[in-house]
Amino acid sequence: MDLLAQIAILLGVCLSGELLASLLPFSFPSSVIAMLLMLLLLATGVLKLRHVEGVTNFLMQNMAFFFVPLCVNILAYLEIISANMVAILVICFVSTFLTFVTTAFTVRGLMKLTRKKGEPDHE
Amino acid sequence: MSEFFTSPLFCITLSLAAYCIGCRVRAKTGSALANPLIVAAVLIGAVLFATGTDVEAYYEATDMIRFWIMPATAVLGVAIYKNLTLIRKQWLPVLGGCLVGALTAIGSVVVLAKAFGLERELAVGLAPKSVTMAIATSLSEQHGGLVPITVFGVVLTGVLGAVAAPLLIRLLRIKDPTEAGLAIGASSHAVGTSTAVQLGEIEGAMSGAAIGLVGIFTVLLALALPYVL
Repeated sequence: MDLLAQIAILLGVCLSGELLASLLPFSFPSSVIAMLLMLLLLATGVLKLRHVEGVTNFLMQNMAFFFVPLCVNILAYLEIISANMVAILVICFVSTFLTFVTTAFTVRGLMKLTRKKGEPDHE
Repeated sequence: MSEFFTSPLFCITLSLAAYCIGCRVRAKTGSALANPLIVAAVLIGAVLFATGTDVEAYYEATDMIRFWIMPATAVLGVAIYKNLTLIRKQWLPVLGGCLVGALTAIGSVVVLAKAFGLERELAVGLAPKSVTMAIATSLSEQHGGLVPITVFGVVLTGVLGAVAAPLLIRLLRIKDPTEAGLAIGASSHAVGTSTAVQLGEIEGAMSGAAIGLVGIFTVLLALALPYVL
């Protein structure tokens, strides 16, 4: 499908996400709602991959670029970051490591569990 | 003259040029440490300093770039959809792993932040650092975190995970590609996924799926943030 139409569809989904988010009684990121909505529309077949594939590939491949201004903005906060540098570094290192390990072991454990239960392997 | 340097045309062109240079640098050095975001930020920072331009003015002028953050997050749904079959085959390990990952990520930050006595807006800012940038910044904002800290945390976490992944896989003797992919994606999101993709197709796909799933779980877990921080 032509790119402009794909963008229209994508922004339409985003708009719906914003709308739904504003209707919720608690605060929830509209971007996540839009993401879930997109998944739902694709899974139910309302949207087909060809309706969004072009713009999706472009945005995913270049995703980091859209955060450049946010990264530059960090420069305005260098003082407060360096004041807490040790804490921030320790937290990032430890947390990342722990997350990696616990995720890996949980997956490993649950895989063993599902294999033991004799769930058919669809390989 | 300052209107020139704070015009959207200048700022956006500068951003594009800096980012492209950053990509070239990474391609030439092949290192995950040469993250285009870091290179670009440094280059742009230098130009802003040299021209005496306010960072805030630059930020305002790049509205057109930041506009695409939301749609870029929405298309993650497409990435999850593409891997739906793979996820369904092993839904329990996948969902369980991502849930535990999200819990550990936020939990460890909260515990450590309290131990260090970090101010609330710093702690909340760091809490979502395991999640992809768009969701992380949006969460941070909603719960009163300092967004620049979130950006810093997200980039640092991503690069950390990407660089350490191969080593960790060896240390923990991870044999299964799904396990590897999920661990990478859960701990270091998109930057980690680029490493995962190099390791293999399944690793890459699972890492991508983990970004979305951990993102969703983190958003749900974050609803409890006002009660713990």
